[in-house]
Amino acid sequence: MSELLTQARQELDKRYNRMVALTASNLCAHCGLCMDSCHYYVATKKPELTPVAKVERVRSVYKRQHDWLSRLLPAWTGARELTETELEAWRDIAFQYCTMCERCVINCPLAVDTPAIMQAARGTLTAVGMAPEILEQLADAAIEREKSLDLFKDILVEQYGEMEKELQEKTGDPSARIPVEKEGAEMLYVALSGAHTILPAAEVFHRAGADWTLSLFEASNYAVFLGDMPRAKAIAARIVNEAKRLQVKEVVITECGHAFASYHWSAPSWFGPLPFRIRSILEVLSDYVEQGRIRLDPTANPEPITFHDSCNMARKGGVVEEPRVVLRAATQDFREMIPQGANSFCCGAGSGLVAIEEWTETRLAAGQPKAEQIRASGAKVVVTSCDNCRHQINDLSERYDLGVEVLNLAEVTARALV
Amino acid sequence: MSGEALRHFVLYELQLVALSIFVLLYAVKIWQLARLSAPRELPPARGNLTRAVASSYATVLLPWRMESTRKSWGHWLAFMLYHLGIFVAITATFTIPFVPGVMTASVRWISAVSVLCAFLAGLFKLGWRVLRPEMRLISTPDDYFSLIALQIWFVVAIPAILLEAPRWLLAYFIITALLLIYVPLSKISHYVYWFFSRYLFGMRYGRRGVA
Repeated sequence: MSELLTQARQELDKRYNRMVALTASNLCAHCGLCMDSCHYYVATKKPELTPVAKVERVRSVYKRQHDWLSRLLPAWTGARELTETELEAWRDIAFQYCTMCERCVINCPLAVDTPAIMQAARGTLTAVGMAPEILEQLADAAIEREKSLDLFKDILVEQYGEMEKELQEKTGDPSARIPVEKEGAEMLYVALSGAHTILPAAEVFHRAGADWTLSLFEASNYAVFLGDMPRAKAIAARIVNEAKRLQVKEVVITECGHAFASYHWSAPSWFGPLPFRIRSILEVLSDYVEQGRIRLDPTANPEPITFHDSCNMARKGGVVEEPRVVLRAATQDFREMIPQGANSFCCGAGSGLVAIEEWTETRLAAGQPKAEQIRASGAKVVVTSCDNCRHQINDLSERYDLGVEVLNLAEVTARALV
Repeated sequence: MSGEALRHFVLYELQLVALSIFVLLYAVKIWQLARLSAPRELPPARGNLTRAVASSYATVLLPWRMESTRKSWGHWLAFMLYHLGIFVAITATFTIPFVPGVMTASVRWISAVSVLCAFLAGLFKLGWRVLRPEMRLISTPDDYFSLIALQIWFVVAIPAILLEAPRWLLAYFIITALLLIYVPLSKISHYVYWFFSRYLFGMRYGRRGVA
């Protein structure tokens, strides 16, 4: 057996926890009821793109190693040996043809956790050097940013200063600030690199009288997509350490699906109990509306508006009602897509796919069910709380001639501020 | 061996041996699962975990809950009839030898009709598996064998339950014994793992407040 296969097998074994073992056992009855829950299959009708067909490629290797009957009679159960060809196939299946959106899980009568196996496959491929290079680079760049913080801190502070001037113009208040490294602030806000995740939020925070400070780091964590937990933990540690150093009471994650999922749900498991809570900005905005800390004028957003639930925020994160509280207050014609909330279709860009240029055609094709949902809603504006979804829906609008504007929730809220 | 002795051996000793193997195999499998590490989540739950777990189990009985069953009532009905028939056929392997008084004429008829419905549902499932390219791609010899073996079992169970004719009874109990040994090794095991996966599903999505 080659060194690559030996290492891959060891990595697979490392990830053979109770959840993976259960999913890799005979839990799946091959009933096929998951088919229509997967946007890839709905868009293409290709038999090899049903969730069960995809996960079976990985599961069959686990079965070959762990299932009694599969060890004895592999052909009988469809069990496979791990080969280099199989690993190549996994690269496509796990990184290109599955966004780990979990829609198949909630529509499976047996609750088969397909993404648990896909995550094991991703982690294994990453460990043996077969993951998409761009995801590796983005994850490494995030870690490097902390190591070289002194090099670009001044540049960042200068950029934030420019944004602050813009904020002062927008609010008409020369005292409006985008604070950085403010010790003892109530809230550490973790944005992305684009100004669209900073300025509208800053405008709302200013109007709500929030005591906040902006993180020096971006929220995204590409190592999560790689299934590389040590690296994901290292990236998350930057923000955890920053929050501890500044002694904030809460960390608020910008509109970024996977960042929310990884910080809110995973960080406490990685680092133990934390001296601050971790929330999404959606929860903060919803609180502001419900507590009357901001007043909104819905006539500022008169067009038909719909909301796309990011899989990480809604199905995997449980943040379903909060954005709707805000949208009902900030818009005149809010309309839902069907289905929505926890059962929403993935836009097709999740789990890092949007960053991989060579697979653009795949994600645009897989986004067809979402495009049809948007068209059916009749909306002219799509609000979404994930930057990857935002990017994808912009591309879908162009590809499927939807003619929609795509905004995040803070932008819509800022537009409606009274 | 006389006819009566053979009957006694097949209905009692053989069943008990097969059942013991069945229990032992599952005990080992569950022990293997239990000793593995389990991923944990520490953040406070957004939903009620007990309700979420109960709701997770109830999902199977409430076809409007899941899009997959909401859009495929035929599949859900076939699923219910099939598993109900299996339950009845298994129960009969206990009641016939151990509490024969329960098997009144009406119970026999109801049981036989249930098993017949399961047989028809099995035909539907077999057709779905054979005719759809998506299903053929994911189907293994174990999938086909398991379905066909249960179809044969149903066919034998109907006259055995209804008439208690000696030859049918022997065939019914011999197939039951063979299935008891095969089931823990095969995909039919999903009915055991289902209890664990539905529990974990309820805990996970309940924690997130979406179940």
